[in-house]
Amino acid sequence: MRKRMYGGLLATAMAMALALTGCGNTSGAGTENGTQPAQGEDAQTAQEQGDGQELVLYTWDLMFPDEILEGFEEETGIEVVYSKFDTDEAMLQKLSTADGGDYDLIFADDYIIETAIEQGLVQELDPSKLENYENIDSRYQGQFYDPEDAYTVPYGAGIPLIVYDPELVDFEITGYADLWNESLTDSVALVANGRVITGITLLSMGESMNTEDTAVIEEAGQKLLQLAPNVRLIQDDNTQNALLNGEASVAFLYTSQVYAALQENPDLRVVVPEEGLGFGVIAGFIPSKAPNSEAAYQFLDYILDAENSAACTQYVGYYSTNTAGEELIPEEVSQLLVAPEGKTMEMVENVSQEANDVYNKVWTEFKAACD
Amino acid sequence: MQKKKQGGKLWLAAAPLYLFTLLFVAGPLVYMVILSFQTRAEGYGVLNVFTLDNYKKILDPVYLETFGQSFRLAVTSTLIIAGIGYPFGYFMAKCSPKWKKRLMMLIMIPFWTSSLIRLYGWMIILQAKGALYQTLHFLGMDIAPLKILYSYPAVVIGMVYALLPFMMLAVYSSAEKMDWSLVEAARDLGASPVKAFLTVTLKLTMPGLLSGVILTFVPSMGLFFIADLLGGNKIVLVGNLIQDQLTRGADWPFAAALAVVLMVMTSLIIFLYRKVTHSTELEGIL
Repeated sequence: MRKRMYGGLLATAMAMALALTGCGNTSGAGTENGTQPAQGEDAQTAQEQGDGQELVLYTWDLMFPDEILEGFEEETGIEVVYSKFDTDEAMLQKLSTADGGDYDLIFADDYIIETAIEQGLVQELDPSKLENYENIDSRYQGQFYDPEDAYTVPYGAGIPLIVYDPELVDFEITGYADLWNESLTDSVALVANGRVITGITLLSMGESMNTEDTAVIEEAGQKLLQLAPNVRLIQDDNTQNALLNGEASVAFLYTSQVYAALQENPDLRVVVPEEGLGFGVIAGFIPSKAPNSEAAYQFLDYILDAENSAACTQYVGYYSTNTAGEELIPEEVSQLLVAPEGKTMEMVENVSQEANDVYNKVWTEFKAACD
Repeated sequence: MQKKKQGGKLWLAAAPLYLFTLLFVAGPLVYMVILSFQTRAEGYGVLNVFTLDNYKKILDPVYLETFGQSFRLAVTSTLIIAGIGYPFGYFMAKCSPKWKKRLMMLIMIPFWTSSLIRLYGWMIILQAKGALYQTLHFLGMDIAPLKILYSYPAVVIGMVYALLPFMMLAVYSSAEKMDWSLVEAARDLGASPVKAFLTVTLKLTMPGLLSGVILTFVPSMGLFFIADLLGGNKIVLVGNLIQDQLTRGADWPFAAALAVVLMVMTSLIIFLYRKVTHSTELEGIL
């Protein structure tokens, strides 16, 4: 699932950037040793060990709070070089060009990691090097992209949900099927991920989000065409804004956007659709020829720590994939950051080329019909 | 003898330029054409197997329609732009030098800001309760929140806004060069103002108008980000489709085939322009 967190989080991030030194993601000059006040002996030695080392971290913008990046640099003396990509596909392209080198640690979406593993661009993970490995929430392990948990560490999970403004909608929305309601003409905002939107249509038909039966996908396409009159906009970035500024009264949003929307307007209502949920995982992996995989392990271990994980989760606004960290998330936001239990959950997986072609076509047809 | 030698040296001086063009303009184009005949690999990447499937796929009504949509939008925008831009360029050429400078500044200043940022400005204006709504409300009009943004008209507004300066400049430069005494002669010989305009002015400024048409029509086939931002992704142009196929669709050969067809179409339009005007340059720009 496509994850974007630029949303309302930008404001939070800016505030944080102001509060902390600078706005860069790489180390501030002040964190290098020498300019530090006296520290504990452990930290000092660790710092000397890591001195001069670099960790090339490759992920989207705004994936880690500055306090975590700086805390890691302080504790280990390893300098974090934060390299950014816009899309999973761009990441894979670069990693493939670098033949699995250049980067030490990458965080990306599940489906693209599966492809990266197939391409031999990912090295096997040695959990014994991660003291906090057992903090990982097992619900997010053993998924399709890494069934044996041999390569990845989950960082956050996204479950797109329906959010609506009860003042503008005069009935109670309980599931995907309600998006088709006639009273919602021209007032629904959707994220721009074809597989996700086709997926919820399939769920509303009682089918799997990953069906490869082209007839069923076509049928979902027909059903989607009936949704077209209700669609106000289809957009991946800051979709929650449409809800906040009155452009739309109902929105189907990524987790970070749900979080951002609720922070802005607590009166909005969040619906956990009764038909079941689709979810995606952002996970970290070490490329096959990472120049400094030891630093990557140290970073993974650092963010798997309960307290650090809780800080990261509250910053990115995705569901926690860390059971120990979950407990430290304040109650007022925990409902939005700890995944709902007892619902059937399905991941959007890579499908066969033939099915993929039909998904693509159905999606293009749907978008054009919304006009 | 001497001259010949110098000519040879001059060619050498231009060689880096040729090399650069060959490498960075022709190279990618050739790569794109080759890619459009290759086969997509299962999973990731491209297989070096010749196929025509990518082009066949374009014939699917769903994808063909994106060309139709792009074409319609380009025609609509170009007509509106010509309607506004021609009179503007014409009258600008008739202004005093002082006003010409001022008007030129007004046209140029927006270019100092990224076009993306200016589009976000339009979004703020057109939003449901945006600047336009607030203004109308302030003027005492009791209206429902606007539903202009994320619609076809919004995209047309964005296109017209983004490409209007090119038409204005093209018409202006050809009206500026025109010999106005010819109009006076026509009037002296008894032509009405309208007839003088139609038979003299319009004819003489036609190259400017046509190059303005080219300069707006061709880019408007490709400005997909305007449809993205102002159209809320609901107006699917060829550009949007190409972008889709390159990213999530992961079908590069198909994207390349779409790009090749789009390029052939725009080249045809430029070819037609040359046939009609017998000119090899775009008036006012080159």
